[in-house]
Formats: sequence, structure tokens, C-alpha cells
Amino acid sequence: MTSAANNSRSPNVAALASKLYEECRNKFSADHLFYQKDLLSLGVVPNDNLPLLVQCAQSLVDKKLLRLLSGKDGRLAWKIISQEDAEKFQNLTADESLVYNVIHSTGRSGIWQREITTRTNLTATILSRCLKSLEGKNYIKKIRNVKQTGKIIYMLAELTPSEDVTGGAWFTDGVLDSNFIKILAYFIEFFVSRKSWYEVSTTIDAHKHRNKRQKISGSAAKLDPEKQYLPYPAGYQGYPTVPLVAAEVNKSGITPVNMVEESIGQLLEMLCYDNKLVALENGQFYKAVKKPNEVKKPKELCGVEDLGLKQGDDANDTKEDTAEDENIMAGRGGMTEAPCGQCPVFKLCTPGGAVSPETCKYFDSWLEKTLGF
Amino acid sequence: MSQYATELCTLLVEDNFGELFARIFSTLQRYDRLALPRLKFYSRLSDKKLHHGLAAMIQMHLVFHHTSFDDGVTYYEANMQAAYYLVRSGKILEIIEDNLGVYASRVMSTIMYLGHAQVSYLETLPELVSEQVSTDGINGTLGSHNVNGQSQSMILNGSHAASGSHAKLHQTLTSLAAHGYIVRVREAHFQSSVDTMMSAERIVKAKQDAKQLKGKNLERFLQDGITDLIQERTEGDLSHGLIRNGVPRGIKRRRVNRLGEESNKRPRLDSSVRLPFEKLDSDEDELTDNELVDEDPPMESDLVVRINHEKLDVVLRNRRLAELSEHSTSSITAQVYECLLRRIEYQTQRCREEPEIPREGEEGEIYSTPISLHTLVEDIDPGLDLAGSIGPMLPPEIPGRGGKRPPDNGVNGSGPQSRASEVDQHLVLLAQPPYAFSYRQINSGMITWTVEYRHLARKLRHLELERIIQSRYGNVALRIVRVLLAKGKLDEKRLQEITLLPPKDLRQVLAKMQGGGFVDLQELPREAQRLPSRTIYLWFYDPDRVRRNVLQDTYKTMSRCVQRIKFERSRLKDFLDKTERSDIKGNEERCLSEAELVLLRQWRDKEALLLGEVARLDDLVAVLRDF
Repeated sequence: MTSAANNSRSPNVAALASKLYEECRNKFSADHLFYQKDLLSLGVVPNDNLPLLVQCAQSLVDKKLLRLLSGKDGRLAWKIISQEDAEKFQNLTADESLVYNVIHSTGRSGIWQREITTRTNLTATILSRCLKSLEGKNYIKKIRNVKQTGKIIYMLAELTPSEDVTGGAWFTDGVLDSNFIKILAYFIEFFVSRKSWYEVSTTIDAHKHRNKRQKISGSAAKLDPEKQYLPYPAGYQGYPTVPLVAAEVNKSGITPVNMVEESIGQLLEMLCYDNKLVALENGQFYKAVKKPNEVKKPKELCGVEDLGLKQGDDANDTKEDTAEDENIMAGRGGMTEAPCGQCPVFKLCTPGGAVSPETCKYFDSWLEKTLGF
Repeated sequence: MSQYATELCTLLVEDNFGELFARIFSTLQRYDRLALPRLKFYSRLSDKKLHHGLAAMIQMHLVFHHTSFDDGVTYYEANMQAAYYLVRSGKILEIIEDNLGVYASRVMSTIMYLGHAQVSYLETLPELVSEQVSTDGINGTLGSHNVNGQSQSMILNGSHAASGSHAKLHQTLTSLAAHGYIVRVREAHFQSSVDTMMSAERIVKAKQDAKQLKGKNLERFLQDGITDLIQERTEGDLSHGLIRNGVPRGIKRRRVNRLGEESNKRPRLDSSVRLPFEKLDSDEDELTDNELVDEDPPMESDLVVRINHEKLDVVLRNRRLAELSEHSTSSITAQVYECLLRRIEYQTQRCREEPEIPREGEEGEIYSTPISLHTLVEDIDPGLDLAGSIGPMLPPEIPGRGGKRPPDNGVNGSGPQSRASEVDQHLVLLAQPPYAFSYRQINSGMITWTVEYRHLARKLRHLELERIIQSRYGNVALRIVRVLLAKGKLDEKRLQEITLLPPKDLRQVLAKMQGGGFVDLQELPREAQRLPSRTIYLWFYDPDRVRRNVLQDTYKTMSRCVQRIKFERSRLKDFLDKTERSDIKGNEERCLSEAELVLLRQWRDKEALLLGEVARLDDLVAVLRDF
């Protein structure tokens, strides 16, 4: 094709190109991948004139209204870009738009700076200048990857980073939000616990009667006199499931964002490892180990009242429990009670040695503390 | 056995029996097997003292002795296990008292104190003569008997007690034997298990049959022969024939009395199942004497009995499981479980067949004797509120706080069928994860229940270790260890994902635990150069190793507590000597000043606390070593 012919047709091409763009915008979704036959089928270019189509497409690409992509089997394909975005591109230098395109292509997972270098073949100085200017224009943003903290990732400013990058619901700004996890874990434990024990309010009279019957066990006495918690029979179907817990969490308003079931499942699994919940039937149901009146508030939560937790008076009773063994849920055993169990120099202790049972200072304080004199 | 176990055992022997025993015991432990001249040389004791001490220690089962077949020399060896069991005696007596009453516990304590005892000797002891006889026969001053004296006068005193007074003793001994709490002393009990095995091996090898066999056949023949012979030589089980319908003597009676039922429907003992030793008993008239009081034949008076620690460990294990089940279900379910465990206990000789706990993951499942549901229903206290202790099957209509008792829908009336299904329901509840306390089996159409002890023992061990880890390193550590236990070896990143912990906290805790020997790191180089950057690091938690370490630490802690008691005593030596004076003892209120009384009370509290601590540490040892 000669340049003269090109020139003579140029207004025609410009008009055709804008018409083509309009048609594409109207007839297809913004994400549609156009192949040559798609563009021809629009009927804008007369007589299936391929060279003319190429010209139109090229002019649109130049105007940043179309993005050139390679589709299936290496065929050429295009995608439309909205007017506003196109205007953005108009202002960019060639290098900048190159970088922008690379970042754009990685979508929600973002791209590492060194990766951009390898793809664009730009020098480090140019690249950093481009990135800075793009960032200044608020077209792209920096994200921290949770898996490799310290690795900075770029992605388009309007995208929300994917879970791979952020680590999911448990991370804020790339850092694990352990307080959030603790609060949520407590909430879930309490919720599950309420659902996994059958609550009986016995009147004092009935309680006495019951007491009389179970002669051997004195355990009834140590329960709350008002409430008793009974286990449900095996095969009980009312234990909370993951969706149920997720729904409850989202309903409670503890979290500003909606928690997906996957995240809740992760947390439930963690609670199982904490020995707080038990998974039944391959994780279909979850059952709490502790009864609702035994579930303890984490320290972070004491004082924070407004969390939509209908605790009632049980929590207030337990809060005053001895703070020391609050977290020892497995109970205390011989080894944890004796001073030796906590002794920092236990390994050095020998009779007659520098550390010896005779000179041990922990024993005296332990005896005094335990016996109260 | 290790340094600390040795230390503890010596301390226990010293604490219980004094310095002479301790000297001999520690010498034997230090030098292992010794013949008499060497033992004399090392212990630097006079002949008289040494002979005296050894004889008494053999009586107490604290020392094994074995006369070698080859050179005819008798070797002595310390019996660590017996020395260790000294610490458990209080617990055992408590169990006996709970199960069989105060008198049985007194009999047991006497046998324990004597090491082993002949029945005829027990008959002569005044403290074992039952109360109603003792009021007329023996005067009250003997209440302050001096047991270790074993004096002649006592035997003389005892001998004039009417033979009818032995009835209670015999009855008690029978029920102790039926429960398996006491066993017949065999000659092989006086030598160490290695000696028993070696002599058994020699005998089997010398057999005609062995000479014709070769290779694998010979090996198998020897193995079987040795096992049989050891079994034959050490077997002291007295419960044979004393258990009827799966229930030992003594227990049923107690139960019947309690329920106020008059008739005793139990079939009488016919001659075919009489005790083996009873047949030898020529003293037939004694039988007729006792028949009025008790239908059980008396124990043969020549019989020598001792405590059966193996069986008592089974009882301890069952107690422990019942406690755990109560914690995770309700007290009523725990009582149902106790009934099941008791039934199984009668038919379980020992906690496990292997002397050592097998490695984690290499242990098979071993199911206990199945107990039919029907039997259990009969055993369970009919007053137990079974229906009211389980929630309703259907989820409550209004979610949240219920507050109403389950409607009594008439099904849980008195019909035996519904009672059975209620019991079954409790047992199914016990079978639920995480513990799976019980297993249901259908045996020829009958519902039976059994217990798989091996995984429960493992679970108990894990719980104990987790408890220690949690108290030392916090909740985070518990989570990490449980993850590692469930998932095996993990690298830090994966571990972090599962535990949902900030990497900093995770690393800190892991490093601390590694320092304490609870978790460890495996390096997996990707290349031969073993560059740190090209190496994968995997964290793991080896419960076997941790168990062994914790067990040693427990021994050490126990001995520290015992040593501390000694030290505390020496601090107050003069004062305590004063309180021990014969004129003051028993009259403390009168003879001591106010301040001294306070001091005495404090000392007693201290001693009690420390001894209590030792007992609780022993619970841990039982879990880690014996179950």
C-alpha cells in the first residue's frame, strides 16, 4: 500500500475507526476479546477489506483505544479500552505505557519490580522513573506480599489485591492481624459452645433431687447452681457447620468485611488445634470442648463490651476467676505445679551442687504461696 | 533406668526403710549385679548387717537374687520397679478402700508392709482380727502395735483368737485375690526377669525336641517354649475360679447389700471349679467353720501372697479414663463408663503385653474383652438418671438459650428395653471423637462394648505432654505442637499458614521449644553442598522422645521433692525430735506451746503438700510409663 493511497484515505480511516470503536463498545462487553472476524462481523469496514481493518485497528491502538493482545494460537486479538483510560494513556510516554501494560497484564496478583525489568527490557533508572510517575498519577500502587515480606509488588490502583498476595482475611497491610484473630476465635468458640451443649435451668429443688441421686459423683456441686450443660446425644445434627458459623460471624458485625467460608473454615481448624473445638464427621460439624460458662474471654477483649456478644452473666463470673491458670485448660498436673516444672535452672540442679534442692529458693516461695503462711 | 530414676528409688528406699537398706540398694544400683563378697566390699557393711539387710530386702522384693547355674554363686540385684512402687502405695490403698472397704485396705497395707506374707501369718496379726472379735479377745493396748517388730508376742497374742475371727480376713483375702489385687508369690518373682528368661532358655534348649530342630523352626520353638515356661513360672493369678459371671467375689455382695436385696441368687460353687489350692487343703473342718459366715472357701494357709502392681496399674488407668470422660461428657455418662471399665478390669491382667511402650505409630489396636450391653444395664445403678443427662436429639426449635428440660415422653419409663437403649446412647456418646472412649461391636447379634486402650493411653500421654508444653510455652506452643502432631513435619511457612500466627511469634516460640527439647528442626539440603539457602528446614515434634525426656524430668522432680522434705525436716530437726518424744507424742495439745503448735501444723502441711506433689507426679509417671 502506497503512502499516497494511505493519505488519501486517512479521514475515511479515522471516521471508520471511531465508528468501529463505538460499535465494539455497544455490542460487546468491556472484557470481550476481539478477533479479526469479530471486528469484520460488525460490518463497519466495507467489503471485508482487510487492509482497511488493519489500518483502523492500528489507528485505534495508537490512540490507546484498543489494546493489542495475542489470543489463542498466536492470533492477533484486541480489547477495547474505555475513553477515560485511553486519556490516561495519551499522557504517558512510550516507556510508561509499556510498563503500565505489563502491570495491567498481571491483574490482581501484581508484579514484582524485577519481573517488570525482564519483561520490558528497560534500564533500572528509566523503570523506576516510570513507576514513580505512574504512581504519582495514581495509576498503579505498591502492595506488600505476605509470603515474601519485603518484596514490593505493583498493580493497578483500582484493583483489590488477590488473596495470594494479601494472605486472605487474616492480614491487614501484609501483617497478620492476631488481635482480630483472637477476638474472632473467641466469638466463634462461644457461639459453637452455646450450640453444642444442651442448657438446662434447674430449679434449686430439682437440683437437690438430682444431687441425691448421683451419689458417687460430687461434680454436680461444682457446676453452676442455676444452669447445667448436658451433652447432646451422638449423631446430633444441630452442631454448627462452617456456613452457619460464617453467617453468624457476618451477622454479628465484628468484621467490617464479609468473611468467606474458607477463611472461617481455616479459623475453625485452628481452633481445633487449640483444643477448643472438635471436628465431627470429617469436619462437617464442629463441637466445642468447653461449656459456655467455661469459655474465657481473651485478655484483649476484657473491657471491650460492645461486640454484639450476648454473654449474659456467665462471662462476668468467669472473668473474676484466677488469672493465673486461666489459660491452662488441660488442667494442672504434677509437673506444672511443682516448682521444678517451671524452674529455669532445672537441668543444673544436683544435690550438693550450686543449684540444689536444699538451696532452692523456689520451693520456699511455692510452699508459702500454696499453704498461705 | 536412668540416673534420676535411680536417685529417686534410693531416696524412696531410704525414706521408707532407713539407711541400711538405702546403702545396700544404692550400692547394688551403682555396681549392678554383685555377689555377696563384692557387695560387702563396696557397701562397707559388717557381715551381720549385710545379711540382715539383704534378707529383709528380699522379703520386701527390693532385691533380686539369683544363684547362677554355672558357678553356683548367688548374685544380688536391685529391683527398681519394686522400689518405685513404694511411692504408689498410698494411692493403691485408697483405691482398695474405695472398692472393697476399710478393712480390705488394712489387709492390703499389712501385706504391703510385709512385702509378701503367708496367709497363716496374716491370721495371727492382731490388727487384722475383725473388730467384734478383737473386743473380747485382744485388749486395746495392741492398737499401738509395732508392726516392724513382728515380735513373737504378737503372734502369741494373735493365735488365741477364735478361728471364726479369720472369716473376715479370709473373705477379704478372697475378694482381693478375685480382683487380682494380690497374687501368689512364685519363686521366679525373686529373680529378675532376665534371669528368669535365661534359665527358661536353658531348660528349653536342653529339651530333646529342640535338638532335632534347625533354623527358623528352632527359633520359633525356643521362643514359644521360653514364653510358656516364663508364664508358668511367674503366673501367680489367684482369681481363677473366683470370678463368676464376670464379677469377682466380694463385689456383688456389697452391691446386693446396698440395694437391700435379701436373696443371693448366685449359683453355689460346685466342686469342679474349686480353687486349685483349695483341693490341696486338707483342713476341711475350717471350711465348715466358715460356711456359716461365708460360702467362700478360705484361703489356703500356706499360700504366700503379694501385691499385684500390674493389675493395680490397670485400675489406675481406668480411674484416669473415667475422670477424663467425666470432663468431656457428664458425670452420669462417666458413671456408665465406669461400669464398663470395671467389667473390663476384672478380665484385664495388665496394661499392655510389651514391657516397653511401642513407638508412636507402630502400635496396633488392641481391643479389650467385649462386655455385652445387657450386662452393663444390670450393673448400672437403677437410680441413675440416664435420660435426663443427655440433650434432645433434635436441634431446639428456638435457637439460642433453651432453658427447658427435655420433655419426658414416657419412653424413658421403666421398661428394660428403653433402659438398655439409654445406656447404649451414653456409650455411643463416649465413642464420639475426640477421645473415642468406647467401641461398639456386634458379636453374634449381641451388642457388646469394648475399649481400645492403646490409643487412649496414647491420648493420655499426649494430653500430659501438651499440658506441660502449654504451661511452659503458652497457648501458642500448644497449637503449634498439635499441628505438628497432626500434620507431621512442616516448614515454617506452611506451619504459619495453619497456625495463623505472626511469623515473629511463631519463630520465638519454636526456638524456645527447641531449646527445651520439645520440637526439633530437620535440615533437608537440596544440593550436596548443604548451603543454608538451598536447604529446606522442617519442624517436627517427636512425642516419643519428648515423653522419655519428660519422664526423666518427672523422676528428677520427684526426687527433688523428697529431698526437700528431708531438708525441711533437718531444718526443724530439734523441734521435730521433741514432738517425737514418747511423752509428747499424742499429747501435743497439752505439752507444746502455742507457737510450737503452729510450727508443727505448718510442718505437717508442708510435708503433706510435698508428698502430695510426689503423688501427683507419680500420676504423670503412670501415664507416661505404665499405661
